[in-house]
Amino acid sequence: MNWLESPILVTGATGFIGGRICERLVMAGAKQARAMVHRPHRAARIARLPIELCPGDLLDSDSLRLAVGDAATVIHCGLGSARGIVRGTRNLLSVCEEARVRRFVHISTAAVYGLTPPTGSETEDYPVRFTGDGYCDNKARAEQEVLQYGRRGLRIVILRPSIVYGPYSSWSTRLIEDLRQRRVALIDGGKGACNTTYVDNLVDAVFASIENDSAIGKTFFITDGEPITWGDFILRHAAMFEREVELPRVEKQKLVEIYKKRPGLLVGSLKALPRILRSRELRQLLLQIPVAERLLTSLWGRMQSLSESRKRRIRARIGIQSHSSGSSPEGVIPDEVTFATQTGTVFFSIERARKILGYSPRISFVQGTDLVEKWLRFANYI
Amino acid sequence: MTSKLRLGILGCGAITRVAHLPAALSHPEVELVAMVDRDRERAQSLAQSRSIRCHISSTTEFDAWELDAVINALPNSLHAATTLQALEHGVHVLCEKPLATTSSDAEACAAMADKCDRILAVGMSRRFVGSHKLMHLLLQESALGSSLGYSCSYGGEFDWKSASGFYFSKSLAGGGVLIDFGVHLLDSLVDWFGPVTRLEYQDDDWGSGVEANAILEVRHSGRYGAVEGKLQLSRTFPLKNLLLVSGTDAEAEISLADLDCVNVHRTIAGEPVKQTMRLEDYPDTSSFCKQLDNFVQSIRGNEKPVVDGWQAAEILRVIENAYANAHRIPEPWSEVGSEIPIAATEVPA
Repeated sequence: MNWLESPILVTGATGFIGGRICERLVMAGAKQARAMVHRPHRAARIARLPIELCPGDLLDSDSLRLAVGDAATVIHCGLGSARGIVRGTRNLLSVCEEARVRRFVHISTAAVYGLTPPTGSETEDYPVRFTGDGYCDNKARAEQEVLQYGRRGLRIVILRPSIVYGPYSSWSTRLIEDLRQRRVALIDGGKGACNTTYVDNLVDAVFASIENDSAIGKTFFITDGEPITWGDFILRHAAMFEREVELPRVEKQKLVEIYKKRPGLLVGSLKALPRILRSRELRQLLLQIPVAERLLTSLWGRMQSLSESRKRRIRARIGIQSHSSGSSPEGVIPDEVTFATQTGTVFFSIERARKILGYSPRISFVQGTDLVEKWLRFANYI
Repeated sequence: MTSKLRLGILGCGAITRVAHLPAALSHPEVELVAMVDRDRERAQSLAQSRSIRCHISSTTEFDAWELDAVINALPNSLHAATTLQALEHGVHVLCEKPLATTSSDAEACAAMADKCDRILAVGMSRRFVGSHKLMHLLLQESALGSSLGYSCSYGGEFDWKSASGFYFSKSLAGGGVLIDFGVHLLDSLVDWFGPVTRLEYQDDDWGSGVEANAILEVRHSGRYGAVEGKLQLSRTFPLKNLLLVSGTDAEAEISLADLDCVNVHRTIAGEPVKQTMRLEDYPDTSSFCKQLDNFVQSIRGNEKPVVDGWQAAEILRVIENAYANAHRIPEPWSEVGSEIPIAATEVPA
């Protein structure tokens, strides 16, 4: 039977990749697609679609049993918290094994090699490594969990895209905002390997992984197959503005020296504290602690009951409206994560995907970025 | 001294927690006697968080609790049935927007309020922000000149933590961004410019879902003649969050960031000038506090509800008309050379 006729579950469906997979399932005529939703308020994009939204939490196996149900195919894009990446994936694998799911497609990442992949990691057989980055390390551990269940008989496929971009992608929306705020610099002329993956190319690979039995148990890099650099990616976005965007250049060696001179651990931590305390990410984490959730909810409720002028005064006092800029007297200084991400030299090979999955990137970088530009204009980002 | 109104709150989700409950607790003429939620624990937890002692229940006992009035903050699909039930028990109702998911249900509520001689007020809280009244004053004084028109874009990534998650179910919510947030804007615009006489509507519902984006082109015919405008609403993209009303002489701007003021832009002797206007002596309370006070004073016979059931039904007719004649927003970014199918199947909630 055609896999599109059978029940399909997508985890992480409220995210950028999961959301697009849901749209493409509808476009492909999937009859029983289900989108697992952990945070219902994030479901605006997929709530437009004629698919079933089912609640589920990767850290709650009972909810996963209900969500997986009779699914023949599970496409796992869900993340959750850093800790939840591994535990949540393990929970889902266990439930899928119990439910005798016929295909488990795991959306991994090329970041299993760290933010700056080492020479030799051009092909999938290079062993994953742990670099100390929470996201990268946990995604690497999650892959190992998936492989272990694969060895026990679950029909798994692992896909490792890299910089997945497309409409709704924060790679593009953040870059546009940073360009507008003049917070972007080209590191070493932007020659770092970007390894773009247009989101629809990734979805093609997901579908091919389900259709193709020879994919079972294997891991595949999925990129656009073009040697796109960070300079290409940044300059294409800069070209979307009507006015010319100034793009300062900064040498890699100079950045290394600047990072070395940065304040020590204690001073740096104290300086970062106010920004972290105001951050949305921290609030999201705190909301998982029942006492903190009650306190924050109560404070938020009280804030909402105030008049507009009082709310404005409070916002101004705690600096919610201020923006942190990457600019400094030394010019635009990218942070260490950006530096690590944009100074890689490895272009991942998609030969295995071509041979086994029959994967061939349909959307070129030129086409993909044109589509992104159309969306960014519609969505008023530019 | 008049005795306090015995008030019950039906539905203890997000809007009650952040808006209705603080308003009820701060009103000097209101005694909160009951909090009701299908999930009794949710009601209990909310009551405890504010040290409230009152009836906590999963069902409403209009008579046993001797309720004078209720705030109906249940999911949209329950608004009409619960409002009718309360009115039949002789209880006044302040119902969250939208009053119902269909105009006919809203009309039934309005008719029942008339029949039972009870107050039915509809929670269009935007009517109680300073900018709403300021815009009326500017229009009445012809401060913007003639040939009025407007453009309006409101949107951002949806972040409303609804307790029940009903917002994304067509059967429970009645629709998406249009019936949820657009209802406020249409209500304000109709109040300023008169009834809608022409409407073009597009949204991004792929079939049996709820729209996240909507674009409306509207014409009104009212006391200022024909006024045309365009609205863009989004639950997925950050929009400018501005309403601009322009005329031959000036442009008035209302920003979501400060709903108590209007910025008027005009040119004086060739120089562009911006004037920020606020109502003096406007109470420094939230719009929900003002809304509740209007409800209380309407029950006392001192005021009339700012938005009653009939007005709410009129806006719902506009929304129904929009949904019935919806066109799809083109999504050329969706895929090269591919048409998005419009599915005809209903999906269970």
